[in-house]
Amino acid sequence: MTVSTGTEAPVEETRVALGRSLRVALLHGREEASRRVVAQLALASGAEIVARVRATDRRSFVEAAQALRDARPDVVVIQGGAKDEAALAELLEALRLGCGTQRPMPRVFALVDTSVAPALQVRADPFEFEHFATAPEIVEALRGLRRGGNEDVVLRDALIEDAARALATTNGTAALAVDVTERSTSLVLARRDGRVEAAHLVPLGLGMGADHVVVRASLDHVRRWLPWPIDSTALLERVFNRPRGAEGLPADEPAVLLEMALAREAIAHALRDVADAGLDVAAMRSAPAILITGRVASLPKSGQSLLVLVDGLEPSAVSTVFREPDEGRAERIGMVVSVVTRRSAKIRITRASGRSMAQVTPGSFGLVAIGADVDIAINGPGVRGHGRSGELGVLIDARGRPLSLPERDGERIPAVARWHTALHAIAADGSST
Amino acid sequence: MTWRRERWSADHSLPIGVTQRAQVGELVRAGDIIAAGATLAGAMRVSGARRLGLSPSDLDRELRVRVGSDVAAGTVLARVGRRFARSVTAPIAGRLLHVTVDGDLYIAPIVDRWTVRATLDGVVSRSDDAMVEIEGEAWCLQGAAAYGPNAFGELTLGVDGPTADLAPTRIDVRLRGRIIVGGARVSAEVITRAHACGVAGLVAGGVPPAGLRVVYGDAVTASGSPSRDDRPTVLCLMGFGSAALPPAVYEPFAALAGARAAIHTASARLFVFSTADVGRHPTPSPDVAVRGEGPAAYAPAGRADTETDESDSDEPAQTEEELTPSASDPSSTER
Repeated sequence: MTVSTGTEAPVEETRVALGRSLRVALLHGREEASRRVVAQLALASGAEIVARVRATDRRSFVEAAQALRDARPDVVVIQGGAKDEAALAELLEALRLGCGTQRPMPRVFALVDTSVAPALQVRADPFEFEHFATAPEIVEALRGLRRGGNEDVVLRDALIEDAARALATTNGTAALAVDVTERSTSLVLARRDGRVEAAHLVPLGLGMGADHVVVRASLDHVRRWLPWPIDSTALLERVFNRPRGAEGLPADEPAVLLEMALAREAIAHALRDVADAGLDVAAMRSAPAILITGRVASLPKSGQSLLVLVDGLEPSAVSTVFREPDEGRAERIGMVVSVVTRRSAKIRITRASGRSMAQVTPGSFGLVAIGADVDIAINGPGVRGHGRSGELGVLIDARGRPLSLPERDGERIPAVARWHTALHAIAADGSST
Repeated sequence: MTWRRERWSADHSLPIGVTQRAQVGELVRAGDIIAAGATLAGAMRVSGARRLGLSPSDLDRELRVRVGSDVAAGTVLARVGRRFARSVTAPIAGRLLHVTVDGDLYIAPIVDRWTVRATLDGVVSRSDDAMVEIEGEAWCLQGAAAYGPNAFGELTLGVDGPTADLAPTRIDVRLRGRIIVGGARVSAEVITRAHACGVAGLVAGGVPPAGLRVVYGDAVTASGSPSRDDRPTVLCLMGFGSAALPPAVYEPFAALAGARAAIHTASARLFVFSTADVGRHPTPSPDVAVRGEGPAAYAPAGRADTETDESDSDEPAQTEEELTPSASDPSSTER
């Protein structure tokens, strides 16, 4: 990948990699906050969560030990307060029983009070025990393990975070980066002050992670996004064979539409994990600038990338959307205006050449072809925003939130086909070619 | 995906509660028990070093029972002193499972027993409470994904050609303990019927994922689902759905039929224990062989290593007709 550091600066070559797969087990205290902390750590580090055990876990000692043995973790992250010390010590005993003979042995990363750490370290024998003072230190340590000790490698997660930061700095607003690859899905929110909330979910993607999307979302949830009827069995076969298919962009329109369907659910489920970990989903949905990268950014048409984003993320405000394919430059593709209203509302679009008004009815979804700086104001829901629309123009999305699709195929398929057609994502008659 | 004969290693993870296991250097054959142990229920923690007034590091010296041993209720686990003796006894019958850093003892009641069998002919190269690893030479076919527990048995062709699907009617109890090659596809019906008939495992080019979900649950993925419980064993060679086997894959099946085989589900590999040179020997056309003598006819004549048990009264049918049970077939009522 080529990274440009500015218009005049020389271009530097960087080795970008997904990093090696890292299996982590999470042992946490009884408090909900503790569970969220370890979940955030795992999401931020791009590690695969293979086991979660709470201090008050109902499983017996033997069952907990067996679960940890079966998980074969590379790293065990423990977090808890002083009052969790006894319970965490018990879990470490279960870890000793379960993984004491594992080779290589799992390492224990602890984010606990300094007063508790020495006692837990004793109980973690014979595992390598490392105590960290802050969460970012653990995240960095976990990423270091994913790099396999090669400091020259830049992890894709770090690059996505840099991109989100750069967009936030350039725009002077919060920015969200959405990245979907063969086996990972990332959501990174960068705030104006430089703070970043990142979630990198593995395995959840469009190739190696496609079957996990179906397992998590259910087959019907993937199928509902396809604008033609398809047998569940046939769809499942396509999904299961994706990990063994040739990597690269989909060759025909049905393959593109299946990839779009999987990407929507991958993003939606990444958001659920983000919410579960206590990260700010509302801020992600209302980010004024959104960057799409990875496989979704490499879809043949920019309308396809935009449609995946609005269906999967369900933005809640006025957002300017960019997309940056892996082998290409970032481009502004459109502006999304999300309108949640039960009655008709008026939208006022102001640009340098003048002002125009339009009526927005609930359920409407379509593009307004404007390629300039615009101010948006909608009466009723009180949506306001400013941005620059891209090649597609302004997408007015009044389908409501949360987005619900009709249950019956007879109603759902025409609606989904309409949405695809509105963004030029398929042929105008809604059929797949 | 090709057949390769070379030295392989297969690891066998062990559940908690191992009682005995094969030692490093021991020779084993596929199907041999290499580890046995107890299934344990909720463990009870018993105060050890503190009760005896010892430091945790000294408890080991005073233990009267080795960790991992079965104990009866009231058994003295550790004891110190003579005139004013202090002791720790087992409050329940079970297994002395674990000693904590604090010097406490965990005792768990035994609710069941388990065994783990080898999937390779060879030598134990690693053995500990979590894993037994075996290294040995065998023909091997690397599959795409495998589901269920490891399986062992005689390799048997169940189809007439590489493009054929295995029909449920070709499965009956006479194939008990065999590993059946199912051609291009095995359906959920075949998988469940084969399991009910005691078939050890199924090997096929493709397996419909919808069928896998029916058998193994909705959480099943394309990367396989190795397990230890009593479930069917399926090795999916090429992909999902229906996948005709290439001649380079199918023809050696014909040559190796009748040999002992094992499916190692964690690595999605089929091991076949035969010295037959499937790469050079001309293999009979499957169509011809099936019309002539049925599955067992695939074993090349004069192959010394085909270690089938000739005395086995449950020998599979030698003709295609016998492989297809009828409603009046008394053996089919055994299901």
